[in-house]
Amino acid sequence: MSDSFLSPVTRRDFLSTSAKLGAFIAAAPYIARGAEVVAKSDQLNVALIGCGEQGRILTNAALKIPGIRFKAVVDIWGYNRTYAERLLKKFGHDPKPYEDYRQMLAEITDLDAVIIATPDFKHAEHTVAALKAGKHVYCEKLMSNTVEGARSMVLAARETKKLLQIGHQRRSNPRYRHAKDRIHLEGRLLGRITNIAGQWHRAVTDDFGFPNGQGIPEAKLNQYGFANMHEFRNWRWFKRYAGGPMSDLGAHQIDVYNWMLGSNPTMCIASGGVDYYKTHEWYDNAIAIFEFPTKEGTVRATYEVLTTTSAGGGYHEYFMGDEGALKISENPKYTKLYREARAPDWDKWVAQGIVASPTSGEGAPPAVKPWEKVGVKKLGGPAKASTVDVRETAALSAWDIPVTLDKAIHQPHLENFFDAIRLGTPLNCTGESAFATAVTILKINESIAAGKKLTFAPTDFVA
Amino acid sequence: MSENSTPTTPRCEYTYAFLIIRLWLGLRAVLAGLEKFESKGSYSFVGYYENMKRMATGITGASFLPLWSTKLFAASIGYILITLGIALLVGFKTRCTLLFMGLTYVALSFGLMAVQESDGVAWLGMHVALVAGGLVLVQHNRYALSRG
Repeated sequence: MSDSFLSPVTRRDFLSTSAKLGAFIAAAPYIARGAEVVAKSDQLNVALIGCGEQGRILTNAALKIPGIRFKAVVDIWGYNRTYAERLLKKFGHDPKPYEDYRQMLAEITDLDAVIIATPDFKHAEHTVAALKAGKHVYCEKLMSNTVEGARSMVLAARETKKLLQIGHQRRSNPRYRHAKDRIHLEGRLLGRITNIAGQWHRAVTDDFGFPNGQGIPEAKLNQYGFANMHEFRNWRWFKRYAGGPMSDLGAHQIDVYNWMLGSNPTMCIASGGVDYYKTHEWYDNAIAIFEFPTKEGTVRATYEVLTTTSAGGGYHEYFMGDEGALKISENPKYTKLYREARAPDWDKWVAQGIVASPTSGEGAPPAVKPWEKVGVKKLGGPAKASTVDVRETAALSAWDIPVTLDKAIHQPHLENFFDAIRLGTPLNCTGESAFATAVTILKINESIAAGKKLTFAPTDFVA
Repeated sequence: MSENSTPTTPRCEYTYAFLIIRLWLGLRAVLAGLEKFESKGSYSFVGYYENMKRMATGITGASFLPLWSTKLFAASIGYILITLGIALLVGFKTRCTLLFMGLTYVALSFGLMAVQESDGVAWLGMHVALVAGGLVLVQHNRYALSRG
């Protein structure tokens, strides 16, 4: 009798094959995930303390990083805690939920790191506890709402020799790093930086509420340091919990001032007021002036945060030098580089990939249709009437930064933190460095309250 | 009743009007043709073929016109414009020159119509109107290399 592929299948064969196929189908997702090929030794166990808006943003960024396993989520609000738990479970994590971070630190003993995204007044308490429990910490900015709190975090990191990264994520943004390392330090394209102007203009927003039936009883809120549910949801606007818009928004950008210049300010004078909102304690508009000493001379800087208007160009930091200027923002649409007419040509920097001729937006040549000849000269210059004032200098030419960020904006900073744990890579924003920013920011609030110019001593910036 | 007819004398205004149109169209064609050879500030045959290849593929890419037709037209248009322009300037076979120039501008307009480039069509439309006007006045052509 000859074998034939058409020979009848036995019941045993059928059951055996079906069982193997079923097992394969059931295991397929795990096989696919395993294809990430993350060695067990590279896996980091992480907990999240603070599952609110910023916690979710950090979680979504961390989920894109291979080898990160969320083991716990902590939040005093069940609503936030459940949201985080469900989000992580969708991605195959199995975090244990906790209300109390102390219980979490005591029970989850195989954690490598803790991400802290709680309100500013809790940063010191949570960070110090996590460091002393032997965990590396990534803590959101502002480091703390008090200088003493910030100092305690730095000292705890030194004592425990654990890593502490503060969430000034622009320092890890490849666009910002290119701007600092290549445009400013290597190419000196800006020449001598003489002034900085930064801003964050944001339109009026309503206070946060909460879903019906999801409020936390006031007794429990009091236990955790909150007065009531309104303040719990809108903590950024109340002096007990945070440092106001300069801390909430300005901290990122003023940190960039310090970082780009490699210097801390010697003075600040600021003004602000609760001019618009009726339900807030902190000012809704504030403007500050700083002086920074640098090797080349004083840099005079301004920063304004307006939370009642989005007019005036969104958010950016504008570094202005005698040969060029850099307007940079986390949002690429607010980013541009400018060359003063008196500066040498930038053609060699284009060739080296440090700057790029713009292809869109300001400075880009007019679009050429596919059949038109490229480089057709347009005759004529500005009409005589368009020169408004004989004291005007020649216009700047606009250029682009040839680097893009195609990840979530917090992801590079988290990657840097995790690489520091795994590989010993230097942190881009240590506690010591962020302490200087915290001191700068908190002095602004003092100046506003005092109504006068305040000075810094160099030792103020050392924890 | 006398049927004597008074012979009409050509008015010099018509002569000068045609002369101005002839010079304008001639210069326009010569320079439009030469411009097609220019690339990055210098004039060359290499530049011409680069520019015309871009024009042909651009028109084909944005319209129903097949590449062979746009390439054929693009390869010759520079030479056609320069030749017709010089002929018009020196007054050689002016009627024929004007006719072929008009047909050339109609052909160029057709390409721009195919890609819905209204501004370009209107611009060339002015040229066509001037050529038509020239043909109406060509009987007053003077100061030319040849009659007709």
